[in-house]
Amino acid sequence: MLNITRRQFLSYVGAAGGSSALLKTSLALGMMPEDSYSGPVTIKPADPGNKPTALILGAGIAGLATALELEKAGYHVTMLEASFRAGGRNLTVRNGDKIDEMGNPQICQFDKQDNLFFNCGPARIPGHHRRILHYCKALNVPLQVKANSSKLAYFHDEKSLGGKPKRIIEYHTDVRGLMSELLWKSADANQFDQLLSEEDVAKLMKFSQAYGDLTENGKYIGSGRAGSTTDRMLEHPTPHAPIELKAMLDSSFWYGGLLGAEVYDWCEPLMEPIGGMDSVVKAFLRNLQTKPVLNAQVKKIFNSDQGVEVTYEQGGKLHSVKADYCFNNIPAYFMAGIENNFSATYQAGLNSIKRGHLFKIAYQMKERFWENDGIYGGISYTSEPVSQLWYPSHDIHAQKGIMLGAYVWNPKFTTMFENMSPEERLKAGAISGEKIHPGYSKYIENGISIPWARMNHQMGCGMRMSAEDFETYYHMLQKPEGRHFMIGDQISHHSGWQEGALASSEQALEQLNKLLGAKIIQGGAAHVS
Amino acid sequence: MLVRTLAILFVFGIGSFTTHAKYTSTPEGLEYCTVCHGSQLKGNQNIGAPRLSDLSAWYVERQLKNFKQGIRGAHPEDKTGIEMMRMVLGLSAKQITEIADWVAQTSSDKPVSSLVGDANKGQQLYQSCAACHGANGEGNKTLGAPKLSGLNDWYIATQLNHFRLGLRGAQGSDLYGQQMKAASAVITSEQDAADLAVYVQQLK
Repeated sequence: MLNITRRQFLSYVGAAGGSSALLKTSLALGMMPEDSYSGPVTIKPADPGNKPTALILGAGIAGLATALELEKAGYHVTMLEASFRAGGRNLTVRNGDKIDEMGNPQICQFDKQDNLFFNCGPARIPGHHRRILHYCKALNVPLQVKANSSKLAYFHDEKSLGGKPKRIIEYHTDVRGLMSELLWKSADANQFDQLLSEEDVAKLMKFSQAYGDLTENGKYIGSGRAGSTTDRMLEHPTPHAPIELKAMLDSSFWYGGLLGAEVYDWCEPLMEPIGGMDSVVKAFLRNLQTKPVLNAQVKKIFNSDQGVEVTYEQGGKLHSVKADYCFNNIPAYFMAGIENNFSATYQAGLNSIKRGHLFKIAYQMKERFWENDGIYGGISYTSEPVSQLWYPSHDIHAQKGIMLGAYVWNPKFTTMFENMSPEERLKAGAISGEKIHPGYSKYIENGISIPWARMNHQMGCGMRMSAEDFETYYHMLQKPEGRHFMIGDQISHHSGWQEGALASSEQALEQLNKLLGAKIIQGGAAHVS
Repeated sequence: MLVRTLAILFVFGIGSFTTHAKYTSTPEGLEYCTVCHGSQLKGNQNIGAPRLSDLSAWYVERQLKNFKQGIRGAHPEDKTGIEMMRMVLGLSAKQITEIADWVAQTSSDKPVSSLVGDANKGQQLYQSCAACHGANGEGNKTLGAPKLSGLNDWYIATQLNHFRLGLRGAQGSDLYGQQMKAASAVITSEQDAADLAVYVQQLK
């Protein structure tokens, strides 16, 4: 007997699809408000005769957006960037570009062609990331659809089906069929009597039949929905033999693979800027009055009631800058190495943000062999260390293409790759790729890798706080200490996404407005608790 | 590589910001070091990068060579050691000497304590260390024993545990490391290591 209340239903959906699925369902049931984003924060305009000054530390996405909004409000902005380039983790490399890895600097060897680039950091934008989409629109960054999933790509689990890769569409169709068969059986065995009328049970059986492509008597015997072993144009289709229920359950890898394109942040269609994600950075730079000061490494931050003074080193020389406000985009775990006069609690909060580890490889392939296999964009998922293979959906049928040969978050494998030399990584990635695409290695012309936790001035991606630290420090870090504001995806629930960075910037600017309001009321020194 | 020592006094507004009068500028190309080890190599526990300010040049040089030769940082469980090893692999002998000279010229405030331990127990344990490292942790070049005063307590504890567990000093070619591994046999637990580190940090 199954008796499901609406609340239980939501918790089942949540368990199956994660909290994002829960959110969507709740929206459909009218339990939560719709996203009400209506553009960036309007900062209280500055007095043109007495321009306030702002210092931005770090020219990543949060820093660039904060600078742009402050300039719009009439602030005089100085932006300091430790690296030789602006953009932070928004990095696209092409022929001749440098990946400034600590100890292993690499130069990109791709052919000199516009379509041969590698988005080392962010690479896709879903339709509900309204903030980044706002800037793409407002700053004229042309976008195109990026296929983030291809049902013709593969699932591959070394421990399942004899390690043979399986087309995602075949797996999805079989899983639906097998699950529908179970549902049909349960309905047939009167499991839903308490919940549904006899008529509705009949409808449920009909639904499961349609959903899973079952036979008249509720059996799943494979489905033409997953293609055919014969030429479908000229012959009667013959479905692939379905996988067994037991085999499906035996591979825990598949469970995660199932969600590959089902999570809210990956819901289709996604987008990418034409020609590379760094178009976003270039657009910000085009629209900023003041360009970032590059190779400027912050050494000291002195925070006072009157403002913030920052000392930085550039080419062996120290410079000092004073400003009314400071927006700090530096990875928080570096702050303990930078002299400062923050309160012990604020510093403890900064220390609670830990380095994340993301690793990617990109290969230049001399032929777009995946297209000959029916794959036009999307991702194959594998239990191999490389974890994912991404196929470009731009420049279809060009001669060559850049394939993402590894996309790794699993700590066991990120550690493995980080400890290898760049050459060893490319070899290991090629060996993994062979398991999914026999003959993979012979297409590789060159490659480049990026372990974000080893990148100069970054040393991490996708920063994390423990649940406990989050509780203790997150809201504190969202607020300024004096006139010093922390920003960046690290100060968001969405680390590792540009949208998280922009949300943190927006949040900080709202705090600035609050502080300005407080200042006006008190008519004296600014203070926000 | 030009190593310049600049004497710069920072005039800040009203406030009690303590800052060092002596600032040694970072030689070109060595900004990498300060990314993890911090301003004036003051150390950063978040990265597992110890304070290096004012360490003896001879010791820094020896350790950099050890990293380069895989004597140090090669153990798969020594995560930060591996990170450091990767940084050093590409350095020439000349660069190593220059880095060591620069490190010796840096200065920063003595580190604050980060560990809880029993300094009295640590003092007892330290008696056997003092023979080489000196009663005040000042070090002894003749014996190859580095200065301990000014090191972070968390770093001292980590290294003691590394010696104890064979992550450091286990290789035959690591002469001083092997000596230290033998000498540190008095440390038999993480608590011992913490107690000793807490005591050493108190030394002037």
